[in-house]
Amino acid sequence: MKKIPYRNLMKIASAVLALGVMSACGGSPAPASSAAPAPASSAAPAAPASSAAPASSSEAAPAADSAPLPGGGSNIIYILTPSTSNAFFKTEADTCSAKAVELGYEAKAFSHDDDAASQSDLFDQAIADKAAAIICDNAGADATIEAVQRARDAGIPTFLIDREINQSGVAISQIVANNDQGAAAIAEAWVEAMGEKGKYAELLGLETDTNCHVRSDAFHRVIDQFPDLEMVAQQSANWDQTEGYSKTEAILQQNPEITGIICGNDTMACGAAQACIDAGRDDIKIIGVDGSDDAASYIKKGQMVGTALQQCALISEMAVQQADDYLKNGTTGVDEKQLVDCIAITSANVDKLSAFVYNG
Amino acid sequence: MDAVKTKKDNSKMIMMLLKGRTFIVLIVLLIFFSIANPNFLSFSTLTMLAKHVALYGILAIGMTFVIITSGIDLSVGSVVGLAGMIAGGMIQEGVTLTFAGVTLYFSVPVIVLFTLLLGCVIGLINGVIVTKLSVAPFIATLGTMYICRGLASLRSKGATFSNIAGNEALGNVGIKALGSSIAGIPVGAILLLVFAVVGAYLLRNIPFGWHVQAVGGNNRAAKLSGVNVDRITILVYILSGFCAAMVGLINTAQLAAAHPASGDSWEMNAIAATVLGGTSMSGGSGTILGTIVGAFVIGVINDGMTMCGVSEFWQKVIRGLVIILAVIIDQAQRKLEAKMALQVRNETN
Repeated sequence: MKKIPYRNLMKIASAVLALGVMSACGGSPAPASSAAPAPASSAAPAAPASSAAPASSSEAAPAADSAPLPGGGSNIIYILTPSTSNAFFKTEADTCSAKAVELGYEAKAFSHDDDAASQSDLFDQAIADKAAAIICDNAGADATIEAVQRARDAGIPTFLIDREINQSGVAISQIVANNDQGAAAIAEAWVEAMGEKGKYAELLGLETDTNCHVRSDAFHRVIDQFPDLEMVAQQSANWDQTEGYSKTEAILQQNPEITGIICGNDTMACGAAQACIDAGRDDIKIIGVDGSDDAASYIKKGQMVGTALQQCALISEMAVQQADDYLKNGTTGVDEKQLVDCIAITSANVDKLSAFVYNG
Repeated sequence: MDAVKTKKDNSKMIMMLLKGRTFIVLIVLLIFFSIANPNFLSFSTLTMLAKHVALYGILAIGMTFVIITSGIDLSVGSVVGLAGMIAGGMIQEGVTLTFAGVTLYFSVPVIVLFTLLLGCVIGLINGVIVTKLSVAPFIATLGTMYICRGLASLRSKGATFSNIAGNEALGNVGIKALGSSIAGIPVGAILLLVFAVVGAYLLRNIPFGWHVQAVGGNNRAAKLSGVNVDRITILVYILSGFCAAMVGLINTAQLAAAHPASGDSWEMNAIAATVLGGTSMSGGSGTILGTIVGAFVIGVINDGMTMCGVSEFWQKVIRGLVIILAVIIDQAQRKLEAKMALQVRNETN
């Protein structure tokens, strides 16, 4: 009975310390300042957090309730991503594999096609293969919890990238791009390009996807402050390029007066940009989110205003590095939940973007 | 005597209405959306509609032939993706012969022909698996569906070929022509018309078409009366593969990009258009005109609701309801047909 409050106390303490580290590192300002009780002295607790954590071993590890997970026994890191037919996820898989090999691991990369059931099978496969660690861009915030727990029970630590799950203390790290900040940042650039007025349309992503709403809400938090910007159409194009193209054509038929289109991702934005080119409309300001090379080429030609780069290569490297730290030292030294800021890409800095890496 | 005649005329009248039901639905939808949305009924909206319908309309023409033989082709969506990747890759990267150490670039007509040929080869494989190896069409084409999708992703290791325009110096520009317009009419829509006319001719005016219907109507009877059932079945799958490759080319040309996941689940739209057009899933009967009308019904629902700002979720629900309703009426028509045939026989006796 006595042990539980003590553990909770340690968890809270380490969470506070880790949050301090985060805000010192320039992570998302919003959650850090709202959750950390003493944001002013963030630099001070940051130092002891990283140095003291390995010394006090298990108890100080942010997510661990008990001794650190030893790994399955082999030297293999499993990398699970959604379909690799998307350049974004492909970059994740490639970067993780490269980093894992660089750190002396064997890397095995698989895709679960956003199917929680096949993801669950892949977790079983990793457990049977005695994986040292699992890096996963997961297939569902709730559906994934059980699989991660299963790996945990088998002594295998899981590091989640790109998407969170709805439970903490199961995975060791959850490193995600700050979609909210990124969408808001590029929306600001778009408002400027629009001259703060005009009618526009929005292409939403898959409406069952959390990111679809996070991005749309962030767009509107910025855009709705300007009363002269009026949304006249809002449609889902399911993250898809052909749908982005055909829906844009339909919207242009109905609302030829629009001068802007905001898109939940770059794939739809590229479809929209192509539809505008075909319709001879070079006056329409388009933005997306992701930071893909396809979008970059439209930005360079002036057919898109910008995109928000989610630094998925950086996130992937961080995850593998933290997996390595954890396996060697029993702790990652940082908090479980970490937000990595997006970078607004416009014609001003698009030349520094290549394969989801920003060489600023 | 007169009473019998009026009754017969009435049934004839009902039959006519039933046969033209999809067309009636199309007209009703057009009127509905024109009232709901003053911008809807215009030349530019209709050409846009034809351009969007062309993609799954052409797929549905191939699918109609397959379904008339009481088969199904689930691989067409994946072939759309694969064809786009092959054509896009040949324009963007050329073909590298590793043993010779050279990269060859082909002109667009050659690439288009090669891609269409590839579609035919996949159709041939489907047909051979279905006939010579006696695998059920659903399973055989399910297999090739996965294979083609996988190959499409392998072609670029998952990446998108973007900005497909070709290079003047390499002499491979011009793919955009397939996605452009001639005199305000999209090339896709013109191709849809060409495919529809040729398809209707093949199905109605030459022995090949009669054999297709015979194979689906009664496989055994067709065989006994000397129809080469295997050959007809294989040809039908080749036709479907050819249509799918064409759609892949048009889609790639319109987007100026090729994505391995393109065409995902488009086979469902093609099947829906075919069924809406009155082709029976059990084979034997169906018309190209019906399929085209069915494709336009789906197209009007999609574009009309998008232009009216109806949510994607409702669009799906309504599309589903229309398909089920169409099949229910189809069944009613068949029952009435059987009843009328019986009536005629009773009278002649």
